[in-house]
Amino acid sequence: MKIGMVMLRHPPTRKSPIMPEVVRLLVDWGVTVEVIYPEERVTDLANVKPEHDLYVLKSGSELALSLSAALHATGANILNPYPVAAALRDKVAATRILLAAGVPCPNTYVTSNPKLFATLLDAGPLVVKPYRGSQGRGVHVVWDADELDDITADCGPVFAQRYHKPEGVDRKIYCVGGQLFGVLRAWPAKTYAEKLGEPFTITPELKTVALRCGQALGIELYGLDVIISEGKPYVVDIASFPGFKGVPDAALRIADYIYAALQRVLEGHSAVLPMPKEVAA
Amino acid sequence: MKAVVIGPGRIGCGFAGELLHSSGYDLTFVARKPEVVRHLNRVGRYRVKLTSTTEQREQVIGPVRALWTQDTSAVSGAIAEANVIATAVGPQNLALVAPILAAGLERRRSPANVLAFENLINAGSWLRRLVRNAVHGANMAEDHGFSGALVKRAVTQKRGSIASDEPLEFIGDTPSSFVVDATSLKKPFPKIKGMVTTKHFTAWALGKLYVFSAGHATAAYLGSLKGYHYIHSAVRDPEIRAAVLAAMREGQRGLEAKFGWETCNGDKELEEIMARFENALLSDPIQRVGRDPRRKLGPKERLVGAARLAERAGVVPESLVLATAAALCFCDPEDPSCTELNTLIRNSGAGAVLEKVCGLDQKSELASSVLKSWGQLAPGWQPGNQLVSLERRMWAWG
Repeated sequence: MKIGMVMLRHPPTRKSPIMPEVVRLLVDWGVTVEVIYPEERVTDLANVKPEHDLYVLKSGSELALSLSAALHATGANILNPYPVAAALRDKVAATRILLAAGVPCPNTYVTSNPKLFATLLDAGPLVVKPYRGSQGRGVHVVWDADELDDITADCGPVFAQRYHKPEGVDRKIYCVGGQLFGVLRAWPAKTYAEKLGEPFTITPELKTVALRCGQALGIELYGLDVIISEGKPYVVDIASFPGFKGVPDAALRIADYIYAALQRVLEGHSAVLPMPKEVAA
Repeated sequence: MKAVVIGPGRIGCGFAGELLHSSGYDLTFVARKPEVVRHLNRVGRYRVKLTSTTEQREQVIGPVRALWTQDTSAVSGAIAEANVIATAVGPQNLALVAPILAAGLERRRSPANVLAFENLINAGSWLRRLVRNAVHGANMAEDHGFSGALVKRAVTQKRGSIASDEPLEFIGDTPSSFVVDATSLKKPFPKIKGMVTTKHFTAWALGKLYVFSAGHATAAYLGSLKGYHYIHSAVRDPEIRAAVLAAMREGQRGLEAKFGWETCNGDKELEEIMARFENALLSDPIQRVGRDPRRKLGPKERLVGAARLAERAGVVPESLVLATAAALCFCDPEDPSCTELNTLIRNSGAGAVLEKVCGLDQKSELASSVLKSWGQLAPGWQPGNQLVSLERRMWAWG
């Protein structure tokens, strides 16, 4: 039983205890785990082939995604599947998939010239984000047209969503193997305790929304950022394999899920199970 | 020496067959499915892989042969000539094999010993009664020995395909002993590696049921509530681990009060059992361990029986009560026992289940405790939902 865990090494100052614990549990359970840091080695593309029963794509770096694309092309089993992980890295693609599935998202726009958003500001502020951004980096709420002058399109398309004033703190919804976990978290979280947030019981409406996202994308390991505004939920971000901070026993649950996915692969099945039909749009 | 094993499943092959083969017996299996018979006769062997946290060993069992249950003449002939006969068919199938056994035993000229490797406390006497009924009450059954066999090993997986020419592989943990009832067997006792005879079989049987099986069931039913896939994952969850240990301690204290030292080995026994539960190489799924909750919730079974015994000893069986309430929530659409139980709860309520299935008077203290615990769980219980916190009874959604 061999797993290749594709990861990005974080600075030692960053507190991220979940993945080392996931690896430790899998090793304890008899799995051979190779942690692969693509940025720290030279990969000979001629030799890229499946060397593990399952690859776990934790890193969302450009190199990790490219390496996963190469592995995917050779038939490797990857969790989350490469095409989905790639789509989720691109907010334009991901949001379109979610909208098509009937997931409530704010009105969403994309352009290569941020100044063109000016006319949209008549209807209210916009949240402008890097289209391949993550963890809240580079997010701006734009109220006036002159603020658009500060936004460049140097890094590719500019992505904007209608701003809805959130009620209370943000809601994070995490999915591990189809199981949902809600965490209330202040944004921006300043301390580690704030990052951990507080578990909450997800409402039936949010449950349907969250499961519908997974079904639309065909994955079971993801996280959503949801805001509630005027009583309505809006999915404002989705990530493949997020940090799962604040999920009780997160490492154990993730390891259990990966182990089950590995067993499915070893029995000749897909690593990912189809989502229940009840959440179909 | 010849042995007949009825039921070439996980315990039949992965335990009884392995020990009989190691003890020098020629093995003949009796199977219900003709394709299994064809496979065993074609391949002539199978593998047993035993694993613990400290060792792994593998053995090829063979040559073996197999007979189809419908080939009554050949089967009864094999039973008539066997030095020992074993069954490993599951308690619910014993009635089906009784006529087969009876036909073979009737042809014998000497007493035989039948060992029932079944997860049933009174498997020996039950099988004897079924055989007696199969020959219309004739006394023939009294000429032979019938004993349950308490299996120490968990055989969790069968790998391979009967369509293939490759031998099947059975995966289990390393314990290699089993306990039989000396008072219900005929002498001379069969010589089988790992066989322990006792005159206190009931105490041993309850010892296994109310400690190991109670802990296993607690891990499965609470593990299911928290959404885990495997026993080895569930017992790593601090809340579940504490409950499993507490449930087994409650079982031990009840047994100690009733039988004294013989069945209880205190914390050492619990540590050994927890190490077995933690063994991920068994890949023991929660769904497998939890299946057939209707039977497992029976009045003398691992949870309710253990709780009643503990209560009688003055122990409050808090964790066994919690596990019983969790068992009422267990859901597996592919398990008829489970769907039957779920329907009964939906139509008649948990109180009625406690009466009909668990044999508990709804007004009893134990039933009240289970109902209280069930009342704390039930509001959030829905298929697919999972507990985020057992202590806070906090559900993921609802």
